[in-house]
Order: sequence, then structure tokens, then C-alpha cells
Amino acid sequence: MTQERPREDDVAGAPADVLYREAFRISGGDYEHGGEVAARVKAILKELGIDPACSRRLSIANFEAEMNVIMYAESADLVLEVAGDEVRVTVADRGPGIPDIGLAMQEGYSTATAEMRARGFGAGMGLPNMKRNTDRFEIESVVGGGTTLRYAVRIA
Amino acid sequence: MSEIRHSILFDEKRCIACVACTKACPSRAIRVRGGRVQVNADLCIDCGECIRACPHDAMSVRTSSPSDLKRFRHTVAIPSTTLYTQFGGDVRPSHLLHALTRIGFDSFYDMSWMCEMVGQALDAYLSECQDPWPKISVTCPAVIRLIQIRYPDLLPHLAPIESPRELTAKLIRRRVAQERGLPPEEIGIFYVTPCSAIMHSIIYPVGLEESYLDGAFSVAEVYGPLRMAMEEMGEASSSSATGFSPRGLGWAAAGGESAMMRNANTLTVNGVAEITHVFDRIEAGKFRSVDYIEAYICPEGCVSGPLLVEGWWRAKRNLREVISRLGRQASIQEEKTRKLFREHFFDLEEEVKARALRPIARDLKQAILRKREKEGLLALLPGKNCAACGAPDCATLAEDILEGDAVPEDCVFVKLDRLAGPSSARGGKASNDSRAKERPGPPGAAGPERDT
Repeated sequence: MTQERPREDDVAGAPADVLYREAFRISGGDYEHGGEVAARVKAILKELGIDPACSRRLSIANFEAEMNVIMYAESADLVLEVAGDEVRVTVADRGPGIPDIGLAMQEGYSTATAEMRARGFGAGMGLPNMKRNTDRFEIESVVGGGTTLRYAVRIA
Repeated sequence: MSEIRHSILFDEKRCIACVACTKACPSRAIRVRGGRVQVNADLCIDCGECIRACPHDAMSVRTSSPSDLKRFRHTVAIPSTTLYTQFGGDVRPSHLLHALTRIGFDSFYDMSWMCEMVGQALDAYLSECQDPWPKISVTCPAVIRLIQIRYPDLLPHLAPIESPRELTAKLIRRRVAQERGLPPEEIGIFYVTPCSAIMHSIIYPVGLEESYLDGAFSVAEVYGPLRMAMEEMGEASSSSATGFSPRGLGWAAAGGESAMMRNANTLTVNGVAEITHVFDRIEAGKFRSVDYIEAYICPEGCVSGPLLVEGWWRAKRNLREVISRLGRQASIQEEKTRKLFREHFFDLEEEVKARALRPIARDLKQAILRKREKEGLLALLPGKNCAACGAPDCATLAEDILEGDAVPEDCVFVKLDRLAGPSSARGGKASNDSRAKERPGPPGAAGPERDT
């Protein structure tokens, strides 16, 4: 876990329906801790008694998002927001951005390097997989600025 | 508290109320309170880590007693394949098996051949099973229970193929009944077990309504008598080593199952730390390119079970030697296994279900409130995870306090700080405002009186 993880336990500034909010810092290139933020979010959802099916789908998306940041970006903040009817996640990174989002959303399209592939990533399933496992999925990207993902899973 | 009767016994007279077991428990089921060990039966997975950790032998296993053998007209011993690893590399398995008849059993059965058959059945299963991947082995009962309690999402990943020990017992009960002309219920089949988890699985099976085994003795308790019996028998008495399966014997150590999967991408995972790491990721949809996961709660698989005598580093070497000395043996005919597989001989008889724990909160709002309270308590506690309070770590103590099972002063650091009064500079975290929030009024004044 990175030291500079910002703590935003209070829900001030969040949409009115947000009951719980926590932010995590993900550092680019930090393969050593890859997956830890997703695992922590999952532990929080479990502690809050969120339905396991919902938490599993969101965790799949979180893991993909986290690995994307580690592989491509400089750093990112992952913000978890739990509302009464859904769990929302925003991942805003500082990174190269995605020039062609339509292409990146295609299954099998990947810009992964040999090293990333050797680690078992880069199959080109990341973004499509995230979309498939969430009930709402938005992606915004500025080339040279960064990418922001917003996704949510409804609480059953 | 559940009515599950566990296999691990606790001897109060030997216990000095240290915290070795508390810290070793992967389920965080043990507390030491008021000089006594308390085990939460809902959380215990019977893995035996507490037996291993206790320096005073206060933890032991409820095994069968010699009088249990007298209830049957004919008794059969099925030793775990780990038994062959306990007497040096030059022990002959057949010699060892015959020695079992000198220490109270009427006959014996080697189960290495069944391990080989189950391996073939798993290979057949993996070639035709469906999502979700990866499949997870059911060989280690402690892993199954961990999944039932902590990873219910992974239940559909369990490979529904019964363990070799149960299948051996199922098969030989029929066979011995026929051979001896006895009713099946008058035959007592006893396992010689390397661990408490298997002992518990005989009393409370998973995936099976009732165990085919009638009881078990630990390797440690038969070790001495067996050693003596083998010396008495001398070298000449035993027959040659035939009928053993070298591949099946390999199941005694981690990786033995995987070695038998020809067409599957396998992974062997040992110990709670590795299991937690991998299972957390399987839950997050990772490891889908792996077909089969062989997982053991013990550090090296069964050969490192808590009820063995030999250190596993030596037992592993002994196992390799025993296997190489056996040389080539006739292997199990695969067509026979495939036929039995199609007849569902290997299938788990019952679905493995989640073992539900009490919900911690009624609804989301209450759960969030509880989480905040827990964070407040964690800010108060020193984070040293010393376990001096009797809980394994500060986070667990915080949960216990929320449950009303403990008070903050159970923590020696909090208590010292409160005795020193609010002006003390030593306390650091312990004098911050989360404490004032937790208990209104002047904190120093209220502290010591609440001690119980």
C-alpha cells in the first residue's frame, strides 16, 4: 500500500445519496502491490454487508482498473462511493490517455508490452470485461492528460 | 454459537494462557480471556494450526480410542499415504502395513491406488467440466471449511470429486463384507490421519451425508507402537512391495495431485497466506486461465500435517526415496476409472454449502456506523498486534469490543495510558480525541474503574 493514500472518510462534497466514501491512491508501475486496492475495496464491501454477487462484479472491474493504472499510468485515485442503491467507483488517472476509445473497448485489442503479457496481462479484455461486469460504465480520456473511468454496480 | 463439535480438544491444566494459539489461528477463532482459552466454534476450521503452535501441548485431537475397535467384529486400518514418510526413506510400505495388524487392527488397506484413480477421475472431470474456472481441489477439508466460511463465492469452483480416503473406505467395506461374510456395519474402518481437519471431516463430513470411515487415529499416536512392531517383526516377515501406486503416493505432498493432471494447467497453493492471496484474486475474476488449484492449509501439503512425527523437510525426502524404491508398478487401468467416473462413483454425494455466520449489521446504514466505530477504536489501539489482550490483533480486539465481548482496557497500552492520566505525554495514539468520543466525560477519571 502506498503511503500517500488520501483519506476521505467523510462524505462531504459527495452526491447527497452517498453514505460511505473512501479514496485510494494507485501508483503506476507498482506491480508489487498490484491488486491490493481492489482487495481492500472488496473487504470494505464485505464489512458493509454488500451482496456478494454485487461485490464480486465490482471487484472484477476494480482489479482491471487498478492493473490498467499500474501498467499504463503515472498514478490514479480510486474513489469508492456507496449509495443506498448502488456502489460507484471513479478511477481518475494521470497518464497517456486513450486516443481511440472505441478501439480500446474492442475485445482483444491491446497495447500491452511483452513484459506486461509475461505477467499474464494484456489480453485486450480489460475494458470490455469491466463494462460487462458493471451496470453503468463511462470512460473519458484526454490524450496526454489522463483517463477517467466511472462505473457502478446496483445493489441487489 | 453453533452446535458443531470440533475435533480439537483443549486441556486447561496444560494451558498457561499465552497467546501462541490465538496468533496462529487462520480463522481468528481463538481468544485468551481471563486466563482461559475460548474457541468460537462457528469460525474454527479444525486445521490444527493451534496444535502446531502450542508450546505446552494443551491442544490435542479427539481421535478414536482403542475401545472403539472392540465395537466391530473386524477392523481395517487405512493409513494416510503420509504414514510411509515417517520412518526413514528405506522403510518398506508393505512392512509398515503388516505392522498395523500387530497393534490392534485385523487388516489394512493401502490407498495409494485410490489416489491414482481419483487423479485419473479428476483429469477426466477437468476435460469436460464447465465454468467457473479455476476448479479447486476438495482434498484438504480445512480448505473446504475456509471456503464455506470466508469464500462462499468460490463454492461453485470446488471440483466435486470425493477424496481417496472416503472412496477407499466405501469400496473396501463392500469388499471385506463379501470376503468375510460379515454384515457391513460390523466392519470398523479406521483412518490413520496426519491432521485434525480429516478427523473432523469424519465426524462432520462435507459433501457427504455420513463418512464411510468409522473413526481415526493420529499418525503420532500409532507411531511408537508401529516402530516397536516393525522391529519385532524383523526383516524377513514381509512380502514384496506390490500393489502400491507410486503416483498415488505422491499425493502425500503438495503437488502430487497436480502431477497427475495431464491436460490441465494447475497451481499448487500452500498455507493460509498463499491461499488468502490467491482466493481473493479468484473472487476478483483472476486465475481464469488456471484449470485446477491444489490447495492445502498446511505448509507443504499433507506431509506437513500437525499430527505427524517427522519434520516435513525430512518426510518429503523420505517420500521421494520410498517412491523411487518402489520402482515401476502396474498402473491403474484408465478405462476402468473412466467407467467408474461415468457411473458417478467418484462424485461428491452432497452439495457443499456456505456456513453462514451471524450478519454483523442489520442494514447498510448500521454497517457503516459500525465501521466508523471500529475505525475509532483502531485509532485508540496501538496497532502493535501483540495479542497480549487475548485477541490475535488490534482489529480483532476492536471487533470484539463492538460485540461487547471485550473492553478497550483489555489492551495493556490503553490501560497504562489511562492509569497515567490524561496529561501523560507517553500515550501517543491512546490519548487522542477518539477516546473522548468513545466515552464522554473526563477520560482519565473513568478509566481504571471500568476494569473488570
